[in-house]
Amino acid sequence: MKKINLWAWIILLIGVIYFFLPLIATLEFSMRMIKDRYTFEAYRVAFTDPKFFLNFGYSVLWALLTIFFSTILVVPTAYWVHWKLPKARPFVEFVTLMPFVVPAVVLTFGLIRLYGQPPIVLLGSPIPLIAGYIVLSLPYMFRAVDTGLRAIDVRTLTEAALSLGANWFTILTQVIFPNLRTAILSGVFLTFAIVMGEFTFASLLAWPAFGPYMEEIGSMRAYTPQALSVVSFLLTWASIGLLQWIGRGRGQEQVAGAH
Amino acid sequence: MAFLQIENVSKSFGSVEAVKDFNLNIEKGELVSFLGPSGCGKTTTLRMVAGFEMPTAGRIIMNGEDITNMPPNKRDVGMVFQSYALFPNMTVADNIGFGLKVMKKSAEEIKQRVKEMLTLINMPEYGDRYPYQLSGGQQQRVALARALALRPDVLLLDEPLSALDAKIRVSLRAEIRAIQQKLGITAIYVTHDQEEALSLSDRVVVMNSGCIEQVGSPFEIYNFPKTAFVANFVGTLNTATVEVEDPANNLLRMENLILKSAENLKEKKKGEQVLMSIRPERLSFASEQKKDNVLDCTIENITFLGSVVRIQVKLGNALFYMDTFNNPFLELPRLGDKTQVTCSKEAVLVLNP
Repeated sequence: MKKINLWAWIILLIGVIYFFLPLIATLEFSMRMIKDRYTFEAYRVAFTDPKFFLNFGYSVLWALLTIFFSTILVVPTAYWVHWKLPKARPFVEFVTLMPFVVPAVVLTFGLIRLYGQPPIVLLGSPIPLIAGYIVLSLPYMFRAVDTGLRAIDVRTLTEAALSLGANWFTILTQVIFPNLRTAILSGVFLTFAIVMGEFTFASLLAWPAFGPYMEEIGSMRAYTPQALSVVSFLLTWASIGLLQWIGRGRGQEQVAGAH
Repeated sequence: MAFLQIENVSKSFGSVEAVKDFNLNIEKGELVSFLGPSGCGKTTTLRMVAGFEMPTAGRIIMNGEDITNMPPNKRDVGMVFQSYALFPNMTVADNIGFGLKVMKKSAEEIKQRVKEMLTLINMPEYGDRYPYQLSGGQQQRVALARALALRPDVLLLDEPLSALDAKIRVSLRAEIRAIQQKLGITAIYVTHDQEEALSLSDRVVVMNSGCIEQVGSPFEIYNFPKTAFVANFVGTLNTATVEVEDPANNLLRMENLILKSAENLKEKKKGEQVLMSIRPERLSFASEQKKDNVLDCTIENITFLGSVVRIQVKLGNALFYMDTFNNPFLELPRLGDKTQVTCSKEAVLVLNP
């Protein structure tokens, strides 16, 4: 038993080193902007650059739009699949996994070719960008919602609401959405984290965003991009932390609906 | 005209016919149970009344209106599910008031009705609790109150007690019956539990393979089953294939034993084989009471069931059960004893196959 525990600790240590060492190195490097001193000068420079807030602000806007449209697309779809088309679930799941198979660059060029020329010209608007981000977030959003739907008895809850006179809108907004709150929030934070750090779509579709800004700064400066990398990591961790915090202690409600 | 008419209703799922030509009239205030084994079509029929399934053929008329193709949320029907189906995100009061809120009733009216319903189910203090804070029995009572809050024309109960333990089941079924009678609401109760169906129904519909086998009062269903399926499904039954001995005098022959039946056998021929049945409780020891049939037997087995003692006797080559009340002052026979059992001619039933 002791041997197994020792090996487990060794493997855990290797994992922690593998994960944290580059981060610590990045953090350490970002603080060495002024020679022989550890300072937050690189962070000060990054945060005083007006382009930082502009690009960061755009990314937040894209993330919020993506979250909004992704939620109203994925939740009713996943709900309908659970309720009426359970046999179609593997197919829908496969479709949502496409972003893992098709590289972002291929998706972007597909969007440019399709919507850059008549009959439908959308390239001047952020629609292809948001659409691309929705596709990109599909695996996370769908899986999060799908897991939430599996935890509640969708069919019976829907039938109960129908027998009480509710229409589809009422069922979705008052029964399904509230019981999927944790699941939807999981998808929302994952989507937020993905969109905030995304580079390919924004760069190739020529829209301002945090990802291309970091790349631009990286080609010109040494320390500021490292500071931005750390900020980006913190943002992702904050999202995951929020997700964990919101998800904690909410299990009971869903368990009650499951039997 | 009956309050709820189910006329020639059939339902197929692909090539599987789940319900076949179902006909039933239910009067206002009546509680009718659909009783049958799993897959017999009882829940499908109930779901067609609720509007969750569309009949392949036939029609459903409620209160004079054809509701066959009406969406479920437009029907004046309340439903209680086996899994309670309470909305986990809402309190007990919000669950009960949900339908009223959907109907845009005033806040005051909702509050009043919720209070009324909580009193009806004897849970006046539970309005602020969430479903997960309640026991199964309490959750089902809330589900019942929620379904009744809208004062529906028909209440549908889909195996509402199946998920509960035996003791709660017995008390809650009495509570459901009392509430149904108090409100005078028309109700359909789906169950596979014969005791439940017999104890709380005005009429029982016994179903098998999508068809109605028999419709009748619990007394009729138990005492005068029309088919072998009903007789076997409802209660314990002794059956044996016997020959018609004397059609004019309603006599049957089981090997060398002659049994007198009250059934009319005049249309049968001598020597024709029929299925004969006797309920275990209709048999008794010959010493206790002399009846129409006195049969020689051997004691094969004795099982103590609490208030009842079940004795297995060998009649010819057939093994029959005999139930007798547990009387501590009565001496029970011993295994292998040769004795006589008796039954009235009314106890000897001839069943349709």
